[in-house]
Amino acid sequence: MARFVGRRRVGLRLAIGVAVAALLATGCASGGNATTAANATDASAPITITLYTSISQPTIDSVISAFDTLHPDIKVSVFRAPTGSLNARIATDQRTGGVRADVLWVSDPLTMHGYDSQGLLKKYTAPSAKALPAQYRTPSFAGAGLLYLVLIYRKGLTPAPTSWNDLTNPAFHGAVAVPDPGFAGSAMGALGYFGEQKGFGLDFYKKLKANGGVQVKSPEDVITGVAQGKYKLGMTIADSAIAAAKKGSPVEVAWPMPGAIAIYSPIGVTAKSKHVSAAETFEDFVLSKPGQQAIAKTGRQPSLPGVPGIDKPAGATIVSPDWPAFFGDKASLLAGYQKIFGS
Amino acid sequence: MAAQRRWRVITLVAVLALVAAVIGWPLVKLVDVLVSDPAGASAAVTSPGFGQAVAHTLETAVATTLLAVPAGALLALLTARPALPGRRALRAAILLPLLVPPFVLGYSWTQAYGTAGFSDQLLGVTMPGLLGPVGIVVVGAVTLAPLSYFIVGAGLAARAEPDLERAARVFGASALTTLRTVTVPLLRAPLGAASALVFVSALEAFALPAALGTPAGYDTMTTRIYGDLALASDPALFTQAIALALALVVLAAFVMWPADRMFKGSRRPTRAGSEGPVASHRPTAGARVSAALLWCYVAVVVALPLAALLLAALTPAVGVSPSPANWTLRNFDAALSGHTFGALRHSLMLAIVAAILVVAMGFLVVLAERRRRGAGLGTAVTLAYALPGSALAVGVLLAYGRHIGGTLAIILLAYVAKLWPLGHRPLAAVVDRLDRDHERAARASGATPLGAWITVVLPRLAPALCGAALLVFLTVVHELTMSSLLYGPSSQTLAVVVLNAQQLGDVGATAALSALMTALVLLLATPLFAWFGLRRARARSDVTVRIAQRELADVV
Repeated sequence: MARFVGRRRVGLRLAIGVAVAALLATGCASGGNATTAANATDASAPITITLYTSISQPTIDSVISAFDTLHPDIKVSVFRAPTGSLNARIATDQRTGGVRADVLWVSDPLTMHGYDSQGLLKKYTAPSAKALPAQYRTPSFAGAGLLYLVLIYRKGLTPAPTSWNDLTNPAFHGAVAVPDPGFAGSAMGALGYFGEQKGFGLDFYKKLKANGGVQVKSPEDVITGVAQGKYKLGMTIADSAIAAAKKGSPVEVAWPMPGAIAIYSPIGVTAKSKHVSAAETFEDFVLSKPGQQAIAKTGRQPSLPGVPGIDKPAGATIVSPDWPAFFGDKASLLAGYQKIFGS
Repeated sequence: MAAQRRWRVITLVAVLALVAAVIGWPLVKLVDVLVSDPAGASAAVTSPGFGQAVAHTLETAVATTLLAVPAGALLALLTARPALPGRRALRAAILLPLLVPPFVLGYSWTQAYGTAGFSDQLLGVTMPGLLGPVGIVVVGAVTLAPLSYFIVGAGLAARAEPDLERAARVFGASALTTLRTVTVPLLRAPLGAASALVFVSALEAFALPAALGTPAGYDTMTTRIYGDLALASDPALFTQAIALALALVVLAAFVMWPADRMFKGSRRPTRAGSEGPVASHRPTAGARVSAALLWCYVAVVVALPLAALLLAALTPAVGVSPSPANWTLRNFDAALSGHTFGALRHSLMLAIVAAILVVAMGFLVVLAERRRRGAGLGTAVTLAYALPGSALAVGVLLAYGRHIGGTLAIILLAYVAKLWPLGHRPLAAVVDRLDRDHERAARASGATPLGAWITVVLPRLAPALCGAALLVFLTVVHELTMSSLLYGPSSQTLAVVVLNAQQLGDVGATAALSALMTALVLLLATPLFAWFGLRRARARSDVTVRIAQRELADVV
């Protein structure tokens, strides 16, 4: 018996040892491969530019595959992460020799204004950017796509909401959800619009809170909550809400008065890019008609007028925060907001 | 003797060098961020609501620990009884919450017990306070109880003291007194280790406070860090986020250092108890009752939230009735499209290598500690565990990004730094309960020090080793923040895919991805457990543990 157990243990030990060695070997080998592969691409491809972005993967994939067919001489290497991680990566890059991206393409103008004020962006207006409405561009960056903030409500809700003021309507007391500006760039944009707009201001949020309004993490959580029946209506992003309704969620979308809030997703070339002309070519492509069509194909709204995007009801109006002004006031507005919605 | 002293020095130097490289240097780099921007750093501490966030973090972490550790210990003591009907299935079921990725926990619980959730639709009952501190603590405790269960269970499997407990009973102590004066003091080291891990896990938890705290306006240090980073294109806010993250480390150190000193060294009896007579395997009435209660627990904390997740994966859209007529596999298609497979391969590889490395490093600390009094090492290797993933990733990038940025190696380095205590604490707890007489006997009979360890000590450590490896494996597979910040073009992990699905607002695809990950881990973990002979080790310990369990069953 003792001998039997002993032999078993030796076998077990051997097996564990072999397994450990094998795994470590595969781990190291593949780590090595990864580096060599990356170096090899750098060496063999004519030019590789790096894109840092927080835009969703399907949209990025679609745009890059369209770009590849037109510009096979430029490869785009993508680092995609949520805004917070992207910010951390860029801040880290800055402390270790400079931003390693040639192009930045982020989800909200406020973030881009932040980078621009640190001098991370090159002054450049792409030829195709000139066709964009003036409120969607600055001398350093331009809006490649648009998010519309709209109202989402439970199917069959009466009275059907028609205006942002319905969020403070006592008929919906305790059943209203809004996303947290501290978490979501889009919600921050809404704060920028309401906070600076006559007739709304921070008072709007006070009334919303007094009406039993609930702050959830993200616009997606608003959709989930309304679809589940937790809330009757809320503020969210149009394309996600439309997609949920299409898939069968019991929700409807209202384009509220005075207008859906537009948040553009800015793209710009970095000041320290080593492949400036390739980076500019990429930005110009994204803002051009084929680039905008590639964005529209993934159910997102392009910013170039005339390229068909998501379904908007006839007569739907669009409003925009005053981004440069909001960039100056964001800290005080956010603090004011958090005073209202903190515990 | 000289050889022994040399080994002592070598292990100690190795551990200290590792601590300096994987934890110390990244921490120094983070401190350097504060030093270069002192205004931003002080703004973090003086900003309104800082004190409140610290208070929220501390109160939820302490409450979670007070709830999760005793609950896990109770589960371990109850399921160690051989007379318990369906014991093996229960043991597996209790560990299941570990398999649910943290990023869907909030969703699955609100779906199970929140407004318009299962319990609401079926019985008109919702869990009061689910959105807010109560929810954060209760759901946090439920998800962390398995950690305590596993550490205490591994401690019991290594050795129990039936003689002492029997003696106490013979001399007239009640079952409760025996538990209080004999069983619990003997479990001091495992309970201390469990408390340390649970406390720090709760301290740096982000997914739950974000999902359940935001609707109640209840912010913690981790949610503030997230918020600061979201706006960190403003350099001052980046510094603030780092300052908050380091404040968490300081907080952890302040609590851990005295606690580690207090728990250091158990009240080990000087002589080993002999193994008791084999008790009856026949289920008693008491055992049946406790089995029934345990199954209720499993149903409430495991089955329902998991079912909510699975139904979300099978339902085409949120708000559609989850009846079988509506079921679809479309969400699984969405989950598996794109970059999923390459990312899965990377994640699995990282998880396996990290599991092996972390356990080996934990073992090394145990060796170094055994030969040196003092609790400093245990606290030191736990420090990075308190750092939120985003901050640790920043520290690792600042320290090593220039050389290995964008490779799997840097992700592995961050994992190893963060998860080191998951390898160390369970092992330290179990080693503390081992009877050194056995090792001495082996040495006296001519075994080399290494031989004595391998033949006498290692087999009793098997459950702790496997468990620790499994914990690391699961944490890595579920990890989102660090790898999403560290990955490069050739080192995408599952996190990148999950975060994308989440950003698309696709609850169905996220749920499908989580369900697949859970199934995959179950598939991998089951043979792992069987293969490493966990059941054998536990079965051996059953004889000695049995009596203690009966006492406890009398109490419960």
